[in-house]
Order: sequence, then C-alpha cells, then structure tokens
Amino acid sequence: MSQDGLVTHAEPVMGTVVSFALRPGDLPGPELRAALQAACAVLQDADAVFSTWNPGSPLSRLRRGQPPTEAGGGQPPVLAEVQAACQQARDASGGWFDPWAMPGGYDPTGLVKGWAVDKALRMLDQAGVPAALVNGGGDLAAFGMPGPGRCWRAGIRHPWRAAGLAAVLEVYGAVATSASYERGAHLVDPRTGQPGGQAASATVTGPSLAQADALATGLAVGGDAALEVITGLPGYQAYLIRPDGSESWTPGMEFAEA
Amino acid sequence: MKSAPWLVLGGVVAGFLGVLGLHRPAASGALPQRPAPSASPARRAPVAGPPAAAGSVTGPVVPYGYGELATRVTVSHGRITGVGVPVLKTAEQFSQQLAVQAIPVLRNEVLSAQSARIQAVSGATYTSEAYAQSVQAALDKAHFK
Repeated sequence: MSQDGLVTHAEPVMGTVVSFALRPGDLPGPELRAALQAACAVLQDADAVFSTWNPGSPLSRLRRGQPPTEAGGGQPPVLAEVQAACQQARDASGGWFDPWAMPGGYDPTGLVKGWAVDKALRMLDQAGVPAALVNGGGDLAAFGMPGPGRCWRAGIRHPWRAAGLAAVLEVYGAVATSASYERGAHLVDPRTGQPGGQAASATVTGPSLAQADALATGLAVGGDAALEVITGLPGYQAYLIRPDGSESWTPGMEFAEA
Repeated sequence: MKSAPWLVLGGVVAGFLGVLGLHRPAASGALPQRPAPSASPARRAPVAGPPAAAGSVTGPVVPYGYGELATRVTVSHGRITGVGVPVLKTAEQFSQQLAVQAIPVLRNEVLSAQSARIQAVSGATYTSEAYAQSVQAALDKAHFK
C-alpha cells in the first residue's frame, strides 16, 4: 500500500515491467489480490501468444508460415482479435501504422502491449476494483479516480532529459508515447519498409490503449502528416515533439497543471 | 481577467528571447542578415482564437536575431500548464542546436517532474527497462543455472 492509499504491483512481462496502481475502496483484500492475479495472468497469456522473442509462440510460428500451434489445431482466438484491432489502427492512422509492412512479415508488436493492458484493465473493472491505472512500460490506461476529487495524472517523459517531463496529462482513458529513445523501438516507415521516424516523442490519448499505442507508433513515424490524420479521429488527441525540438498538438489536447 | 493569457504569453516569449539571445554565433559562421523566411508558419498549429479563461493561445512568429519562433501557451485557471514551440526556424545549425537546448530548460521552469503530482510516466523509461532486464536476467539464471 503506497502513501496515497493505492495498492501497487509491478509485473515483469512482455519485455518490460507492467505496473499497477489500484484503489481498493471497499473491496476485501483477498478479492483485490485475486483481481490482480487475474489481470497479470491476462498479460502473461498475451506474452505467451504474441512473443516475437520466443520462436515457439503462436505469432512466431504464424510469421514463419507454420500453423500457429504445434498440435496443428485452430489458431488461438486472440490472434484474430489482435489482427482485427491492427486493421482498425492501420485504417485510423492513414497507413502510418501498418503491421503488414514490417520486415519479416506481419508484426503486431506496436499494438499488442496496449491491447493486453486494455484487457487487464477490463479484468480489474469487472472484478469490482473501483479505480485502477495500469502502466505497460510507458503506455498506460486507467479508469475511475484514485481518490475523492482527484484524477489519475501522468507525466510525458521528456525526450532528451531522462528525469524531466515534457508535459503532464490527466488520464481518463489511455495514454501512449512512442519515441526514438525507446529500447528496441525499431520504427519502420510502412511506405518504404526502411527505418524511419519524424518525431522525438509522439503521444496519443484516447479510449483504447491498443489503438492509442498503434497511433503513437504511427505518429512517431509520420510526424506532422500523421498528426493531421489523428486530428480527424473522434476521441483521440495527439502531442508531437519533432526532432528539432519544436512541437504541435491536436486542437483538443488538454494539458494539466504540473 | 480576459487578457491574462496574452500577458502570460508575452512574458514567455520574452523569456525565450532572453535565453536565446545569450549565445554567440559560431566564429566562422556568417551572421544571417535577416531571419530565415517562414515558408509555412505554424501550418499544423491551430489558429489562435480569442483569449479564454482556459485554453491555448499561439503567439505570432517572432524573429529573434538568429532565427524565428512562435510559442503556444496553454493556460488553465490563470496558470501556465503547457508551453510549446510550433515554429522554430534558424538560419544555421549552431543556433538551431542552442535553441533546441534552451527550449526544455525554459519549459522546465514551468513543468518539473519533482513538483508534479503524478502516478505514472508515459514513454519508456530507462529505469523500467533496467529493472526488466535485471529481473529477466535473474529469471534466466534461476531456470538455467
């Protein structure tokens, strides 16, 4: 239990750490722990299916043109679910996010983490947790309020100052930030298939972290052109820091007091 | 208090000009005779609307001797909550580098991680990555000795 009455937990999964902050409210301790365990199981299950590091994962097998499971049975339903979310994000981003244009074939990595965190968060909500924030290694989503009259608040990491913040946002859904400083962020321009990026930092907010995560990846690749696309998306806002340090954001983007 | 955002904006622009004006141009670099023309100023930045109690205002493109910039300031309840630079053009690389260094310094006068009451940071952090690597290494060791 942290000082502000939140129960916190850190789960190493998907090549990063997913951290939880839960407001227990009146939920009994055993129920809260069960909810947390179920949410973590969701993340571990997603990792098992979508790991590109594990050559035996259903996604890795699919990418090699093999049946998704060794037994040769049908593919796990979540593969189709993620594929549909990828198609939606590709359309919404105007093609700046395109898992089918990655070197080595279909790679939904830019969306999977956000998708899994969305799912874990829904699990907590359904279990009766009054409020929660889940941060998947820098891509986060929340529901409820951390305390009476308080909002969840997230800082946007500054692209050049590891301890600094570029901005502070109140969190009412999802916040995803993509940037060239990310370890393993091999940003690929879908138009060329070559490494590319036109942002020092690209943040997208909106109702779905799966979509925000993918759109942030697209914004990091497409820069101003992608920002223009996101400006037309209902429910989503974006904040772009260009490599030269200049910035823009969509008209509905709202920053909080630091 | 209708004009407050504009007063705030003016102060911020003056602050930028003050810091950016401190630098010396590169010894061999020719001084630009005039600021580089802005081909498409703030194309993506929304047009500044009338000042409001809460909202964003974009200042005009201001020449400052070695280039030109415009700031965009978000104000909420009479306080600055965001400072952006939608336009930044310099005539040569040296000024560009200095401006890029100056912008975060100036903004951190407004926003700082220490004073922000936040529950999370968006954008992968070195800390979380190092933690994950360390945990993964420990797990590997436990499984494979």
